[in-house]
Amino acid sequence: MMRAVVASELLKLRSVTTTYRAIGVAALMVVLGAVWTFYVGTMADERGSIRAAAPEQGFLPLLQTSLALLGVLAITSELATGMVRTSLVVVPRRGVLFAAKAGVVGAVTFGGAVTILLTTYATSRLIAGDRLLGFNQSSLAADLPMLLASGLSVTVLALVGLGLGCATRSTAAGIVSVVSLLFVLPGIATYLPPPWNTRVASFMLPNLVPQIAGDQLSRRLGDGLLPPWAALATLIFYAAVTLGAAFYLFKRRDA
Amino acid sequence: MVRCAEGPPCRIFFSVIELHHLTKRYGDTLAVHDLSFSVAPGHVTGFLGPNGAGKSTTMRLILGLDAPTSGKALVNGRPYMSLARPMREVGALLDANAVHGGRSAYNHLLCLARTNDIGPRRVAQVLEQVGLAGVARKRVGGFSLGMKQRLGIAAALLGDPRVLMFDEPVNGLDPDGVRWIRDLMCSLAAEGRTVLLSSHLMSEMALTAERIVIVGRGRLIAEATVAELISRYHTLEDAYMALTAGSVQFGVSS
Repeated sequence: MMRAVVASELLKLRSVTTTYRAIGVAALMVVLGAVWTFYVGTMADERGSIRAAAPEQGFLPLLQTSLALLGVLAITSELATGMVRTSLVVVPRRGVLFAAKAGVVGAVTFGGAVTILLTTYATSRLIAGDRLLGFNQSSLAADLPMLLASGLSVTVLALVGLGLGCATRSTAAGIVSVVSLLFVLPGIATYLPPPWNTRVASFMLPNLVPQIAGDQLSRRLGDGLLPPWAALATLIFYAAVTLGAAFYLFKRRDA
Repeated sequence: MVRCAEGPPCRIFFSVIELHHLTKRYGDTLAVHDLSFSVAPGHVTGFLGPNGAGKSTTMRLILGLDAPTSGKALVNGRPYMSLARPMREVGALLDANAVHGGRSAYNHLLCLARTNDIGPRRVAQVLEQVGLAGVARKRVGGFSLGMKQRLGIAAALLGDPRVLMFDEPVNGLDPDGVRWIRDLMCSLAAEGRTVLLSSHLMSEMALTAERIVIVGRGRLIAEATVAELISRYHTLEDAYMALTAGSVQFGVSS
């Protein structure tokens, strides 16, 4: 039963163009990363060395928003059209349908995100060559925690998008919620009076990624409060809470 | 052909859709009120009632889409939610527009078929059967209502189920399509399947259905054969008008 429904959900994702558009926009990260590296590379050629941000970190929000949109649309495209009723007639067990949807969104966004992140990483290092750009002095092994944490953050945002889209039953509300979690709330947290800015910011979704990798939040906020394991747990907690609440509503509400 | 109208024993054995004191309340509105009837195989059962009478709600309750406030609906003696592969037992068309417009007809059906382990060959078969084979790869968003009705019927037929429910499938169809649906409904029933069909077209219903269930304001108004109604009221339309006279209410969606 579960396997059949997962196959169906995967086909649902593969058979609409919005999926390819969202992944296409996410993959722009590779292009932007290459352009960025080329640009800072020419600056480094003039000055000898430079401290530039890593493209896989700088353009991460693009990846996060575009693939989170995939999560939102996975459910709201059905809720808005009434397709969800057609789906529930063929799969009356709501837990199975919801789990299959979440599983497919989770797997596709994680696979897509890690692929795009690694490609961005590889092309930018290749373009950088032996120039000193600030971000290309560490080994892949040292950068891998950050890359995987970034990939996981994309998946969590997509699942949060799925959950919020399901709870609000609206594409617009789902997207606004994701954008709030990603940009608005962390923005507000930064401008709280210290030490509350760092304390609150430590729990903000985008700031969990550097904490998992053991880096500082930003020059302004300094080190976060959370050790890597706690940051990882908090990240997963975001997805678990929104999915849990969404499933509760999905199971109880009339379709 | 087994006719369940003939005696109670066969009702027990052959009634495949059963409603027992089904009640659904949305806030202050009683959409379905203490509704009990059963639908037997071998003929088309027409489901009639004014807009807002609770026909669509009743169908949603049978399919487990809405939870009843009280009472129960059974399909083949079991709640719909407990069916492991529901498409193989029940096919339903509730709303032809409840599709993702960006998906092709073929992929739409394949998405549904996959959930119940039904293969692509069957998808091609039903597309052929409903006359959509030529537009199978076209996006559903560009379909007319009539084409969407055909697509919905194709979805209902995918699992070759013994029980079929159609909510106003004739809407939006051209005369050719109307006749096609009539013939399809009759042939499905003649194969011994159970067919519950709702429609507002009385002349069409008189040609297609053998038994009629009429509801109004969520309550059962009448349950009779078309022959009985016509002998008493002259035409089915007159019967419907007379029986639902006190039940027409506007401003409530069905």
